[in-house]
Amino acid sequence: MIQISHLRKEYASVTPLKDISTEIKKGEVISIIGPSGTGKSTLLRCINLLETPTSGEIVIDGERITDKKCKIHLVRRKMGMVFQGFHLFSHMTIIENIMAGQVDLLHKSRQEAYERGMELLRMVGLSDKALAFADELSGGQKQRAAIARTLSMDPEIILFDEPTSALDPTMVGEVLAVIRSLAGQGLTMLIVTHEMKFARDVSTRIFYMDQGEIYEDGTPEQIFEHPRRERTKQFIRRLKVFTAAIDSRDFDFIGMNSQIEEYGRRHLIPQKIIYHFQEVFEELCVEILLPILPDKVSMQITAAYSQEEACMQLQVQYNGGAFDPADCDNPTALALIKYASRKMEYLGYSGEDGMNTVALEISE
Amino acid sequence: MNIIKNQTDKSLNIALEGRLDTTTAPQLEAEFKQSIGDNTELNLDFAKLEYLSSAGLRVLLAAQKVMNKQGKMVIRNVNEVISEVFEVTGFSDILTIE
Repeated sequence: MIQISHLRKEYASVTPLKDISTEIKKGEVISIIGPSGTGKSTLLRCINLLETPTSGEIVIDGERITDKKCKIHLVRRKMGMVFQGFHLFSHMTIIENIMAGQVDLLHKSRQEAYERGMELLRMVGLSDKALAFADELSGGQKQRAAIARTLSMDPEIILFDEPTSALDPTMVGEVLAVIRSLAGQGLTMLIVTHEMKFARDVSTRIFYMDQGEIYEDGTPEQIFEHPRRERTKQFIRRLKVFTAAIDSRDFDFIGMNSQIEEYGRRHLIPQKIIYHFQEVFEELCVEILLPILPDKVSMQITAAYSQEEACMQLQVQYNGGAFDPADCDNPTALALIKYASRKMEYLGYSGEDGMNTVALEISE
Repeated sequence: MNIIKNQTDKSLNIALEGRLDTTTAPQLEAEFKQSIGDNTELNLDFAKLEYLSSAGLRVLLAAQKVMNKQGKMVIRNVNEVISEVFEVTGFSDILTIE
């Protein structure tokens, strides 16, 4: 359906795409993952010519769209794009947003466009918001409406450019659920995402992009469990590691808990382990350690989750002179740490850097 | 955390929703200080409580001590996770959990 050969995109100071060649078959659901700035969004924007490639070729259903004679508006009708920032018209109601393209470009009657629009709004769970304006909707609702608008043009290919990146974490799930439901409907989908659990569950194929190329291409299992190339291995390993530093007693506790939850959600970590991680973090770091540390607090938290062993290794390092948390006088906090972790071991105090280290193991 | 309060005669009924942790425990502590007064019954509904830490347990223990002097405190609808927290900390022996 889509053939890309030696695609290159250069700007004056940076070359996000160096040499991309791949073939995408009809019905494939491909998640594009990788570090920031490696050309993931640029690739999507080149596929529908929102960016003009510097060189190379893109062929869609036999049509060479990189050819200057190509009637791109006809090719674009086959493709819909869902953006990070929704791009709904704020002066129109939601149903008008969805009808506009159908009436203006597909030349449907207003009645037909309305009926199709309502059908799609029901599908994304927003039929009761048809007459609302975009600003009256939450971020998650706006993005679901934007997906309905894209679907209203009956595309064969949908390009999702980080569709959940601008959303509050509580709204990510509702948008992913809608995309997930589309994945089984035969549409060809390319999704740039940082939601690794979603990418793994929904995709038939993963592109790991790095250094301006599709560095590794494989099934979700291959990329996430058995990556072959070094940079993919490093990326996947880093994904599963959580790090945080606390340098003040007034640190953002709620923000830290949200980060832990997001880390768990993205990386397939069972909810019970994340719950225990939060318990250990609160009891050890906040209840036991913070009150005894010097004013200039220095605490580092590193967690790594192993899917094979269904176990999380947690390491907490902190300043303030040698102190084994097991010696504290907070039996309730200690009981909860013992409950939440398989073991807690004080690894000692290093005089060189003035840091204590405690290691814990958390399992279900 | 949401605190939903309902007063009937000398009975104070409080339902908690969300997380009772180091940031929200002071909110509950303040509510108890303001509302317990001379009530003889304090009923706590934990059906929608998702998380409980030692900071929350301390506030519950303080309320239990107050109610021991003037009536009783009962915690109801405790889910499995919160129930385990009460068990492992020994609070299930101190608090009245139904």
